[in-house]
Amino acid sequence: MCGITAIQVRDAALRPKLGELITAMLGQVADRGPDSAGIMIYPEKRVLKGVGHPTTLATEWRLHEISGTQAIAHTRMATESAITAAHCHPFVVGDALSLVHNGSFANHHTIRRELTAQGVEFDSDNDSEVAARFLAYRMAQGDDLEKAIRLLCERFDGFYTLAIQTPQAFAVVRDIIACKPAIIAETPGWVAMASEYRALAVLPGIESARVYEPEPEEVYLWTLT
Amino acid sequence: MSYDDIRERARLGRYPIRGGGARRKIPTFDDLTFLTASASRYPLEGYREHCATRTVLGAKNARDPVVLEIPITIAGMSFGALSAQAKEALGRAASEVGTSTTTGDGGMTPEERMSSKTLVYQCLPSRYGFNPDDLRAADAIEIVLGQGAKPGGGGMLMGQKLGPRVAAMRTLPEGIDQRSACRHPDWTGPDDLLIKIEELREATGWRVPVFVKIGATRVYHDVRLAAVAGADVVVVDGMQGGTGATQDVFIEHTGIPTLAAVRQAADALADFPEVKLIVSGGIRSGADVAKALALGADAVSIGVAALVALGCNDTVHDFGPASYDDLGTTPGDCTACHTGGCPVGIATQSPGLAARLDPVRGAQRVANYLRALTMETTMLARACGKADVHHLEPEDLVALTVEAAAMARVPLAGTEWIPGR
Ligand SMILES: Cc1cc2nc3c(=O)[nH]c(=O)nc-3n(C[C@H](O)[C@H](O)[C@H](O)COP(=O)(O)O)c2cc1C
Ligand code: SF4
Repeated sequence: MCGITAIQVRDAALRPKLGELITAMLGQVADRGPDSAGIMIYPEKRVLKGVGHPTTLATEWRLHEISGTQAIAHTRMATESAITAAHCHPFVVGDALSLVHNGSFANHHTIRRELTAQGVEFDSDNDSEVAARFLAYRMAQGDDLEKAIRLLCERFDGFYTLAIQTPQAFAVVRDIIACKPAIIAETPGWVAMASEYRALAVLPGIESARVYEPEPEEVYLWTLT
Repeated sequence: MSYDDIRERARLGRYPIRGGGARRKIPTFDDLTFLTASASRYPLEGYREHCATRTVLGAKNARDPVVLEIPITIAGMSFGALSAQAKEALGRAASEVGTSTTTGDGGMTPEERMSSKTLVYQCLPSRYGFNPDDLRAADAIEIVLGQGAKPGGGGMLMGQKLGPRVAAMRTLPEGIDQRSACRHPDWTGPDDLLIKIEELREATGWRVPVFVKIGATRVYHDVRLAAVAGADVVVVDGMQGGTGATQDVFIEHTGIPTLAAVRQAADALADFPEVKLIVSGGIRSGADVAKALALGADAVSIGVAALVALGCNDTVHDFGPASYDDLGTTPGDCTACHTGGCPVGIATQSPGLAARLDPVRGAQRVANYLRALTMETTMLARACGKADVHHLEPEDLVALTVEAAAMARVPLAGTEWIPGR
């Protein structure tokens, strides 16, 4: 079990408050993953990861002071791999592509071997890193983010809700059965997703937001203009 | 060797011959078990959630690759070793469930071509019955370098089974024992094999895939060489693989177990991702299929199990006179394929005995069996969280014995230990 949450801020006036928003959101998914947490901030491309309770970590990092366009965060309850900062999401690969994952893959060992054979290098033995590397590899082969995510859905077995950000885009996708929770909220000022609604309820303007559950294997993609 | 075995040789002045596969105890897929899903992995729902079984073989070079609905094929068994009825029944069953059958030593019969939608045509050292017309009528070609029951040995068909039709197809006199070549005159190493493969491709207009079948001995090197020589598919037959007839000493004392062969073969093909691997020898259950796929096979082949599904060794038959006893064999323990006196009409060329097998009813049983194997395979794959049986991987398995752990290179159950690592 893990918590994921991410936001893309479209309203320039809100961007100085990115840190505040993501800190509040992170606090609401902390129970889903009390072992460790990680976050990536755009456009700064700043990665923060640590072992411990997410709320404590956010205070240590002075997360609320940060401004920016996008943030993607993860709180982790470890399944197979060790509890270390290296195993924390987001996995940041390629051209500052970051990925957070709730769930677990069922055939990642084979895909890891296939990617390794193509010269792809890994930092951890985490199954989610395989998904991030797969996307980066496909994009290096010329696929766009949406196509790469579709190929991921074809190739990977297991249960997953994934949130992905690049400096210009934010995407969400769920597996074909859509077992892992996910909720999206959109307003003209921002678009955000989280494992649970409570993490979106803290956002300004949520009362009038369009709130919906992502459909299985549908790729949701928002680009920054 | 038992005293009886010594007495048998003392009586005969030669080696015993029989059908079937190795009967002594060797490590098998039974020595492995699956780590199915729980909290760290999630299973797929058995009856609702899709688990793909489609298998494509030979897409590397062939214009028309072999597309199978299930990852289980029927191995090459000759018309000669088997009756025409048995061949027809296997063809019908395979077509019904969407898989392939394979000819065998002695060539292709029209009934077999008609009944089997996807037919693999063997090219063997003996060259009996091999001709360009049948070659072009095939959906794939399988060059046989060897068989798991007798790697390094040639084919064998006892005189009792060389009836008029079999003898004519092989251009041999009727009723004499046939001992065929163990080496094809056109090739010895991979260099000549490469030329042979190209010749077969040209003869078939690069339309159909070329398989290379080897008996499992020096698997890593042999599989690599087959891939280098240009095979689209490598078939590896382990030491427990069945045969229609061969020397007992071959069956029991040559080759390596299928369990050990799969992993070596998969390693050898790591650099050839487009070359597919078929594994055979002792495959009996869906668990065997799933384990072979997890260790790296793309499909499996079955011989003896398909014959048993057809009625081999079945005790329910009551044919009155000339049943097992009269033919000098025992139901449940029969390996008399070589004698031609098959009580159930499968491994015979006697028209009277062959008439005991109804191809339509036989086909139904084999089709049922193939369906059951497929269900068992998908059941295990789903329980491991896979939406495709080909997504099974070695990490889904652990071993129950140290030997199996070492051969399959998976950890001993309850440990992280892989012997030799
Ligand atoms: C009756 C019989 C006849 C066979 N004839 C041939 C043959 O002509 N050519 C060949 O390559 N293998 C032949 N085989 C071996 C099978 O193709 C296959 O490798 C073997 O049966 C697989 O092992 P299994 O029987 O345990 O499934 C024969 C096997 C049997 C049982
Ligand atoms: S019953 Fe027939 S096919 Fe089966 S082992 Fe005996 S002779 Fe061979």
